[in-house]
Amino acid sequence: MGGLIIQFTVAFLATLAFAVLVNAPMREFGYAGITGAVGWLVYCLCLRGGTSAVGAAFLAALTLAFVSRAFAVVRMRPATVFLISGIFALVPGAGVYDMAYYFIQGDNRTAFEKGFEALQVAIALAVGIVLVMALPGRLFEVLAREKRVRHKAENTPPPDKGRDDFRARDAFWEKREKSFWGKGK
Amino acid sequence: MEEKRRVLEFCADVGETLLLNGAEIYRTQQTMELIARSYGAEHFNAYVLTNGLIASIRIPDTEEHAAVRNAPRVEMNLGRISAVNALSREIVMGAVTVEQAAARLAAIRAMRGFPLWTMAAASAVAAACFCYLMGGTALDAMAALPPGLAVGLFVQRLARTRAPLNKLVSNMLSAGVVALVSVLCVWMLELAGLFCDADKVIIGGIVSLMPGIALTNGIRDVANCDYLSGTIRAIDAVLIAAGIALGVGLVLRFAALIPGVHI
Repeated sequence: MGGLIIQFTVAFLATLAFAVLVNAPMREFGYAGITGAVGWLVYCLCLRGGTSAVGAAFLAALTLAFVSRAFAVVRMRPATVFLISGIFALVPGAGVYDMAYYFIQGDNRTAFEKGFEALQVAIALAVGIVLVMALPGRLFEVLAREKRVRHKAENTPPPDKGRDDFRARDAFWEKREKSFWGKGK
Repeated sequence: MEEKRRVLEFCADVGETLLLNGAEIYRTQQTMELIARSYGAEHFNAYVLTNGLIASIRIPDTEEHAAVRNAPRVEMNLGRISAVNALSREIVMGAVTVEQAAARLAAIRAMRGFPLWTMAAASAVAAACFCYLMGGTALDAMAALPPGLAVGLFVQRLARTRAPLNKLVSNMLSAGVVALVSVLCVWMLELAGLFCDADKVIIGGIVSLMPGIALTNGIRDVANCDYLSGTIRAIDAVLIAAGIALGVGLVLRFAALIPGVHI
């Protein structure tokens, strides 16, 4: 149990570091960290429960993608922001490296084994992600309906009711221009 | 008509920005099509690859315009992807004119990433954490800090030079730096009476270079029926891995020749 808590914390820290490396928006660091830590926790639990590495990667990818999509809706960001930062620890980078390393050392059999293993893990992760990405968006929108409605109301220009009604529209555009450049510079 | 051409150029720029910052193929394609449709261009077509895109717009009964963008070097920047996403959302709601959108896109493209030292520190922390997650001890993790820092600085320096090095060579050099610093660290700790696993330290150090994301995204592309893009990414992943392995392998070979160093 204590081991799992340490693993969770380290995975959280690792994900924060990766989020910096891929230039994620700073406000989303905490959410990305939770995504990555949860994914790693599922992976660890699966391994302890006796699942194979590939199966564990698949289940972890399902969880990760699900959490990313939930955060994506709540935070109004693309899911990639959470997914890419969070999946770093699971991705078979070490496997691909091992393959190339043994290949250079002349140990072709081990190289093939490692490469095949890495490919299996990558496929498991990709399938997990693709499955969750295929879920309908409505499933997640429940999480932040009010926020979406407010965002839409703030960003939709008032309807054009003909020539005489330009004040509301002008005011809208002026406010937008100000809010954007005020923030940007 | 001039208006339509501006829409086409803007869409192509949006696609280029997304690709250059590491967005998925389907996201790039979808975003471009959505924006074109919101600006009233019905006959808009785009074909997106990992390293470039083609888009065209047809104005009925008159002519057809095309735009091509080349995106050879991809550097992950989720902040820019996120900003483009927010912009496209507002465009779809009809709240941004083409000129405003172009100005905002220029601002997004000029967005700066984190400063060099922050990146280097993040690389060090990532190395230590990953070393621990891969089964290293706390001592191994501590030993992975300097290699991580060194490679972070090295990669950032390389990325800021004007004439970029060949990708294979730059990965080889970066991995060589990791292996060198790792071997030094392990050796010095050994002199101090502390023993750690050089393999684990090196694995931790090279984590920020490793092509795991490229491989996984490649397979995702294949699953989305973007076969060519998936293949490009997979080859890219293998090439990166080969560069890293060459760099590490060379340094370890030479290190093994020095008496008193055990790898």
